[in-house]
Amino acid sequence: MIDLLIIFPELFLLNAAISLLVYGVTFQVEKKTILSSIGILSLCSLFLTGLLLVNQPVNFSNFFFYSCIIDNFTFFFKITIIVSSFIVLLMSRKYIKETRVYAFENLILVLLAVSTMMILVSAYDLLPLYLAIELQSLCFYVLAASKRNSEFSTEAGLKYFLLGAFSSGILLFGFSLIYGFTGMTNFEDLAKLSYTQIFLDSQMPLSMTIGIIFIAVGFLFKMTAVPFHMWAPDVYEGSPTYITAFFAIVPKIAILGVFLRLFDLSLHGFFDQWETVFVLSSLASMLLGSVAAMAQQKLKRLLAYSSIGHVGLMFIGFCCGTIEGVQALLIYIVVYMIMSCGLFALALCLQKNDNEDSETQFVQSISQLASLGKTNPILAFTFTIIMFSMAGIPPLAGFCSKFYLFFAALSSSLYLLAFIGVLTSVISCFYYIRFVKIMYFQTETMSLKQKSFSTISFESSAVLAMVGIFLVFFFIYPSPLFLWTHKTAIALCF
Amino acid sequence: MDYLLIFVLLFPLFSAFLLLFFPDQSKKHQLLIKNFALQSSLINFIASLFLWVGFDSSTAKFQYMSAFNWFSSLASQNEPIYGSSFVIGIDGISLFFVILATFLTPVCIFVGWSSIQRYVKEYCIAFLVLETFMIAVFCTLDLLLFYVFFESVLIPMFIIIGVWGSRERKIRAAYQFFLYTLFGSVLMLLAILFIFFQAGTTDLTILLTTDFSEKRQLLLFLAFFASFAVKVPMVPVHIWLPEAHVEAPTAGSVILAGILLKLGTYGFLRFSIPMFPQASLYFAPLIYAMSLIAIVYTSLTTLRQVDLKKIIAYSSVAHMNFVTIGLFSLNAQGIEGSILLMLSHGLVSPALFLCVGALYDRHKTRILRYYGGCVHAMPIFSVLFLFFTMANISLPGTSSFVGEFLILVGVFQSNSFVAIVAATGMVLGAAYALWLYNRVVFGHFKAPYISYYTDLNRREFVMFFPFILGILWMGITPNVFLDPIHCSVANLIQ
Repeated sequence: MIDLLIIFPELFLLNAAISLLVYGVTFQVEKKTILSSIGILSLCSLFLTGLLLVNQPVNFSNFFFYSCIIDNFTFFFKITIIVSSFIVLLMSRKYIKETRVYAFENLILVLLAVSTMMILVSAYDLLPLYLAIELQSLCFYVLAASKRNSEFSTEAGLKYFLLGAFSSGILLFGFSLIYGFTGMTNFEDLAKLSYTQIFLDSQMPLSMTIGIIFIAVGFLFKMTAVPFHMWAPDVYEGSPTYITAFFAIVPKIAILGVFLRLFDLSLHGFFDQWETVFVLSSLASMLLGSVAAMAQQKLKRLLAYSSIGHVGLMFIGFCCGTIEGVQALLIYIVVYMIMSCGLFALALCLQKNDNEDSETQFVQSISQLASLGKTNPILAFTFTIIMFSMAGIPPLAGFCSKFYLFFAALSSSLYLLAFIGVLTSVISCFYYIRFVKIMYFQTETMSLKQKSFSTISFESSAVLAMVGIFLVFFFIYPSPLFLWTHKTAIALCF
Repeated sequence: MDYLLIFVLLFPLFSAFLLLFFPDQSKKHQLLIKNFALQSSLINFIASLFLWVGFDSSTAKFQYMSAFNWFSSLASQNEPIYGSSFVIGIDGISLFFVILATFLTPVCIFVGWSSIQRYVKEYCIAFLVLETFMIAVFCTLDLLLFYVFFESVLIPMFIIIGVWGSRERKIRAAYQFFLYTLFGSVLMLLAILFIFFQAGTTDLTILLTTDFSEKRQLLLFLAFFASFAVKVPMVPVHIWLPEAHVEAPTAGSVILAGILLKLGTYGFLRFSIPMFPQASLYFAPLIYAMSLIAIVYTSLTTLRQVDLKKIIAYSSVAHMNFVTIGLFSLNAQGIEGSILLMLSHGLVSPALFLCVGALYDRHKTRILRYYGGCVHAMPIFSVLFLFFTMANISLPGTSSFVGEFLILVGVFQSNSFVAIVAATGMVLGAAYALWLYNRVVFGHFKAPYISYYTDLNRREFVMFFPFILGILWMGITPNVFLDPIHCSVANLIQ
């Protein structure tokens, strides 16, 4: 009974999703209105879940027979997940209305995915971890292919499904090897085992190493890190933008959270085995992310490559294996989440009215942003701030997160990673400031009518304003985030 | 009185914030905005003069100190608390740079009075924000914050060059400016993080008492050097400067030559020399060699340039390398001379850029061959231009002479060969400056090219006046400026 009380937020969200589904199916005659009311209701349920989470009576507990856990660490990730998905849903309201795809099921799938991701973060055993990953991936396969009349979306869904299923298979194989060798699936048991004398003295059995590497590979697939990133740009581009925004931001947080626990807690004894994998992948991701994005013309593809680069940077924190590393990673996650929310808010709200009759067009290629500085100066200014912050120029928030990451890397002697990280963040400046160039510097070649963008919705502008204010002023008083992440990192390691 | 420095630091930012709420449509509003920006920057200038009045020149301690906790992390339990705080304060070295920054900002706003027609509000905001950043660079006593502000200058400057620059090539120039500086300074970031890791703090007053092992000093010095050498600029990495100068608007050149070039030499003086004394001694020959090459090479390059601004930009390179020679002579005369030359160059070079700006505003070209015989059309201008040209070749009685003389005296004590070669720079300087003046002012009036001419108007004349005053004052009674510097420099070289 107490266990159910502990996962009350998740249960609430699950129930809310099911009730909304019933409501939607029952009243789906009026498709347009039902979509908007379900949108509002899902926002409300996310908000209430957040409230429940904050006011949870139990702070630390193992439950469901030690297969799940809640502590400060899960709290951090759950809050981040809830907040980011709330923001994404909030800013995609207009997009959903404009694209005229009246599928309210998408929103319900999003809610389901959020609730499973919350369970995923709580996973304290290999089995719930795998089950939760599968559940949220299933939601995303459906979501990616949801625009049925678009070839791109179908292709994206197919690719995402094939590669996602493949990576889950790899992950499962890794788990089974670990289980087969040790006979245990619980994180804590594994942690105890990994520090026993057998592993410290004698050499590692091969099957254990292979198992860990398979898990790492499955994880890299899910995180779109470099050798296994092939699907990301296509899927990002093909899926409807708000779905892209959703699975570019939220699942990464959740998966990073649970694997942080798996690797840095239970498999920490095997640090030598998995560190190399992540160091190599981090190097490759940073390099590819910065170089490949330079050649992109499409907004969403560029965001995909830029997120690959950022994942590479996050892995720096992963590789440290210290509390500082974890803390730096957490800070990075929060700042990155906010920055990408801002970027996607822009991608979701910018439309061009080419002419009055035809359907409004969302901005797809970067060059369409030309002269945004003239038509929407405040929007362009916010966008500039976000871009400079992404590039890590001080004094914006992106810089603060990067510098702490490099600090952690230097203090655990990962000199090469820090050096390449710094170098690639300079290279990536090229394409981040290209946006600024396009918006402000270029002389206009288009007529006034072509230039005009439709006004952005209230929700998007609120999101953008908050993002901008956060990025500018974070630098002045970063202590709360630093302390919070520090507490979280401590909760992981002890 | 103690809060004066905070006031000087934050007041421009505050007025920039107020400016956000001004409307920007009609001519009348634009005038209001300009007036407001000019007056607030003038108030700031006057406030900064009070810094000088209240300055106690009998001590080497930092004055007007104030500190706020910025962030701290209790990362490792056994080690000291890592943290950084906003520590600001000025000593004799930074006092005049703060005043120079507050002096040049109203000039920048004034020079754009009639030539800036679009984005007026943004223009004023950019300069006011830039002013805060510049003052912050000079008065922060924290290594990390120094880096932050050193870099954040890039954002407004990038926008100033890109938006209000005159030609299509400006985009390239803005990119070059941005990326050169960034490439140089990321190495410094790594070095700072390393110092942070070793010493547990980035507070300068504590770092000055920290000993670094000799091998480490060499590496750290080189990392800092990579960043400062770009900013100075030393010879292999000076390409960005002529480009940025030529493409920037007049006010941008004023700031670039007046303040931003001083950031590198100020960094050497404030951080490299006192923190890494052995490394400074070790690398002094390298810096001598690079600076000598720069002086001779850029002076010769100047002879064959046809763009007015490029000529003055190259002459800035030559002067700044004079400064580095003086700094690394590592004795009191050399360092005081170089501080004085920095200040003097901060007056002379902006004044010359204002002259070129005045020509450009009238004739919309900067190519030398279209000019000639200006004395027939613009007598007042010709007189002023002569005065500043003479100051640029350091005629006795002007400020540059005192600076260069002290530098040569200082350098002669440590390495007489360097002094001899550097002295040829003065001859070459006279050659190009006089030849430039000759070609612009003397000779026949080139009527086919220049059909419209007026002499300086009152606004421009008023603008030049404080420069003349400063140059003469500093040249005739340099002790007024040297007195506050003595103690700090003596303390520095101990």
